[in-house]
Amino acid sequence: MSDVRQQGIEIVPQACERPPSTPEPVVGAPAVVVARDLTRRYGTGDAAVDALGGVSIDLARGRFTAIMGPSGSGKSTLMHVLAGLDNPTSGAVWIDGVEITALKERQLTQLRRDKVGFIFQTFNLLPMLTAKENLVLPLTIAGTKLDEAWLATLVDAVALGDRLGHRPSELSGGQQQRVAIARALVSRPVVIFADEPTGNLDSKTGDEVLGLLRRSAGEFGQTIVMVTHDARAATVADRIVFLQDGRIELDCGRMSRDEIYDTIKSLEATSERGDGGPAR
Amino acid sequence: MIRLSLRDLWGRKLRTALTMLAIVLGVAMIAGTYVITDQIDNGFHNIFEKAAVGTDVNITRKAAFSGSDVFSSGGALPVALLDQVRAVKGVADAAGTVEASGAVVVNGKSVSTGGAPTLVFSTAPPRFSQSKYIAGAAPARDGTVAINAKLATDKHLQVGDTIGLGTEQGQQQVVISGIFDFGNSTSIGGATLVATTVADAQRWYNQEGQYSAISVAAEPGVTPDTLAARLKTALPAYAEVKTSAQSVADNTKAVSDAIGNVLRTILLAFGGVAVIVGAFIIFNAFSITVAQRIREFAMLRSLGATRRQVLASVIGEAGALGLIASLLGIAAGIGIAKGINALFHAVGADIPTSGIALAPRTIVVSLVVGIGVALLAALAPALRATRVPPVAALHEGATLPPSVVSRYSPIIAAVAAVVGGVSLAAGMFVHGTTASRLFEMGLGAVLIFVAVAMVAKHVVRPLASVIGWPAARFAGSSGRLARENATRNPARTAATAAALMIGLAVVVFVAVFAQGFKTSFVSAVDRSVNAAIVVSGQSGGTIPDAALATVRAVPGVDQAAGVYSATTQINDGSTASMTGVDPVTFGPMWRFHWLKGGSDALLGKLTGGAALVEEQFAAKYNLSKGKSFVALGQTGTKQRFTVIGEFRDPTLLTGFTVSQNAFDRLVPSNQRDPFYIIASSSADPAQTEAAVATALKAFPTAKVQTKADYTASLKKQVDQLLTLIYALLAVSVIISVFGIVNTLVLSVYERTREIGMLRAIGTTRRQMRRIVRYESVITSIIGGILGTVLGVLFAYVVSTRLASQGITFSVPWGQLVVFLIVAGFVGVIAAVLPARRAARVNILDAIHYE
Repeated sequence: MSDVRQQGIEIVPQACERPPSTPEPVVGAPAVVVARDLTRRYGTGDAAVDALGGVSIDLARGRFTAIMGPSGSGKSTLMHVLAGLDNPTSGAVWIDGVEITALKERQLTQLRRDKVGFIFQTFNLLPMLTAKENLVLPLTIAGTKLDEAWLATLVDAVALGDRLGHRPSELSGGQQQRVAIARALVSRPVVIFADEPTGNLDSKTGDEVLGLLRRSAGEFGQTIVMVTHDARAATVADRIVFLQDGRIELDCGRMSRDEIYDTIKSLEATSERGDGGPAR
Repeated sequence: MIRLSLRDLWGRKLRTALTMLAIVLGVAMIAGTYVITDQIDNGFHNIFEKAAVGTDVNITRKAAFSGSDVFSSGGALPVALLDQVRAVKGVADAAGTVEASGAVVVNGKSVSTGGAPTLVFSTAPPRFSQSKYIAGAAPARDGTVAINAKLATDKHLQVGDTIGLGTEQGQQQVVISGIFDFGNSTSIGGATLVATTVADAQRWYNQEGQYSAISVAAEPGVTPDTLAARLKTALPAYAEVKTSAQSVADNTKAVSDAIGNVLRTILLAFGGVAVIVGAFIIFNAFSITVAQRIREFAMLRSLGATRRQVLASVIGEAGALGLIASLLGIAAGIGIAKGINALFHAVGADIPTSGIALAPRTIVVSLVVGIGVALLAALAPALRATRVPPVAALHEGATLPPSVVSRYSPIIAAVAAVVGGVSLAAGMFVHGTTASRLFEMGLGAVLIFVAVAMVAKHVVRPLASVIGWPAARFAGSSGRLARENATRNPARTAATAAALMIGLAVVVFVAVFAQGFKTSFVSAVDRSVNAAIVVSGQSGGTIPDAALATVRAVPGVDQAAGVYSATTQINDGSTASMTGVDPVTFGPMWRFHWLKGGSDALLGKLTGGAALVEEQFAAKYNLSKGKSFVALGQTGTKQRFTVIGEFRDPTLLTGFTVSQNAFDRLVPSNQRDPFYIIASSSADPAQTEAAVATALKAFPTAKVQTKADYTASLKKQVDQLLTLIYALLAVSVIISVFGIVNTLVLSVYERTREIGMLRAIGTTRRQMRRIVRYESVITSIIGGILGTVLGVLFAYVVSTRLASQGITFSVPWGQLVVFLIVAGFVGVIAAVLPARRAARVNILDAIHYE
């Protein structure tokens, strides 16, 4: 363990730090999402795979966090567990002070409905609803009243004014994802989880979408967690968390694209040397 | 490619099972119908064959004309004929028998036969008789009878007991001399058998000096054919001489025509409806699977599969499905037949059957129908599958190119509707055999169904928004999403709803038509009968003539008249119903609807060759006042009748009405029994009814009712028939439930990712289930509305056509509402499984699902 550290120190960029070996106490934390010692094991016996090998993380209110890592690093699993879509094998998650890992299916659904927003790689709009209907869907499901002023602000922010009456099939990919972002924002969730939001978009549209997410965090103080393997995408984040083999390898602040590339490269190098696998 | 098809079927077990069930049930009805009716045919054949053992030649009276009756017979043979028969060379022995139908009374109570007849026959010498005595002996003295073992067991009767026997002369007290099995069975299909002496039978059943039939045994070395030929030359022309083999065949055919064919046609019609409903479901299932397998087909095409191979793959799948489903259907059909046998047995009216009769015809028809329907229904989707371009393998979310069919669908629908309409009209208005007309009407209805199903997709959206309104209004997001889901693929929703539409259209048609029938028939009785009491026979049979005198003698009865009816042949052509009445007593109790200036005064002129004609009859034979026609009765007598007046009565006194005397000349004495006796009374109807009932105790087959009770019982009979028809149609509705289940399961599967998203953003499981359930209900109610509209329309057209026969068009609104509620309920039931599936979708899998 110790020589891994020593080797690592050389490559840790300035903005980064190693995750603390013992997590801080939960009580009094300013974070809206708190996770402690998350493990997630798929399968049993010899076929068992540890997707998460003990992750603790605090996500502060109003911050835009990117979770990065190569395929199989566990970044998607982490997001699913944080969002209450998947149950950890051990460990706990709190959202807005509620321990979601202790909730029953029904309460969890309600929590997702009221406090969590989602943005998917494949947009996942309902094809038979108009853009506006898709946008307000979370409110419709919750049966909550629509705040017209907020809607106007959102529509303005996502620049969809003239497309609201159209169905998803009549919208471009970028427009669809903007609807999806507005949909995630509309219920003013405590946290939005975005899963590769630019994965299905070309780079120009992707940049627009990222800009929108950035503004959401800045202007509306929205807490956002984005999973991505795209360095471009991560540049808009306030904080970048690098995962490798189910563990947080580095926890960094704002980084440029080049810094991110370098970090990824050095992490890959560590991994290739075969001594960077703490999950083993 | 075929292996691929089979793999595909196996890989989607639930879907395959649901699709298969659609065919299985329809084929089961068809196979079951054949099995049951074949069983009945064979059963009767066995009985006739058994009864004919020991008899070589059979002699009856030749019918003057053949027609309406099951065993059209010209009446009885004179006793003297027996001696003539015996004198013919080659006759070893001959015996005359008397047959009639009666009723048995045990301890003052009429024995219920559950609809089976009580057959009374005189004993014959042992060589002609199939009765095997298990106790006592054949009746030797007058006043004694032998009964079949089933009656003895059921009613705990023993030799020496006294029972009542209903006869033309009233009830006779008779002593049981013996108990017998018929051949090896205790009964003939639930019938009660009573053997009497020849003299008793002749006296009690108005056949003095007569036999119903003469059985002849040939001397050794003389073949039945030779003997029959000799007898034919020796005997007078009125004697119908048949070898027993011939009469067995003829009798079997007569029963088969009367029971088997009617039952077969009716049941097959219901089976046909079920099969057509199934066809829609198969079409829909294949359309959806083909749409879902676009990438698979594209992949196959890009690997070098030809269009023909893709077509073969889908068609092969349909064929395999049809084959397996047909085989299951045949097995289920046998099961149904066994079940119905057991049911009949349980109610004590076991129809004669002869074990399971799986004729090759049954198997062939079932396979052809099952496989044919599957292939036909899958053809259009299969053709669409061939149009998937190989490049679609590379696209995500590739959609099917619009089929050639869809481009022309409005034209095809229009053609189907027009051809259907013409066919329906041809069936209703053009004269032809009943079978061909029914076929034309059926074909027309089917084509109209297809046409409506094809254009239904255009009404799905407006209908769904109306039906879905309450759901969207009061059930919030679930209701709105359900409504949107129902309309996102209107063609699919339309085809799914169409399956239910057909079943419901037939149900509604029957309901509306029956309502009209009930209204018209019952109101006709109400309007025409001006009497307090109506006496009718058991299960539509006649009442012994002697009962009329008994009724007349009851204190409180002012007047009583019998209504006699028989079939006659008119102008050597077709047959028509002849009613015989006594104008003096009948006239005041019947309100004629006179036409062309007629009045009750005409009844006074109803004597001899005078006839009153019903409107329809007059029109058919082009008759009017002063013109005449010739009627031939079963006595062989021809009589020319002159029309003295015309009236309208399309339901009761159809044909023509003559005086009692004229009637008697044309009808053999043993058939001169009234179908009804009506009696007027100035006293309290209930009291008179009781008095008449007491007096008619001697005639156990007579049923005494006040006019109000009688009309009520008529209504009840129609309702009972309706219940039976609804039960048969329920199969079609059940099939359409499977269709909805199938479509929903496929839709849920298709929308897995959406469901995952909805669940991720906070839709509860309960909301998810509700979304599916509402979509199901919206779909089923669309089917319900379309079906109701079509059903009412069909009923309107048919009722209008039959208006001259007294059928009125009247809509049972209450019932229609009930049917729509049932349709909604169908949706709820159908949604159970798919809704559960939707609620259980794993969110993570769903989001990453492709």
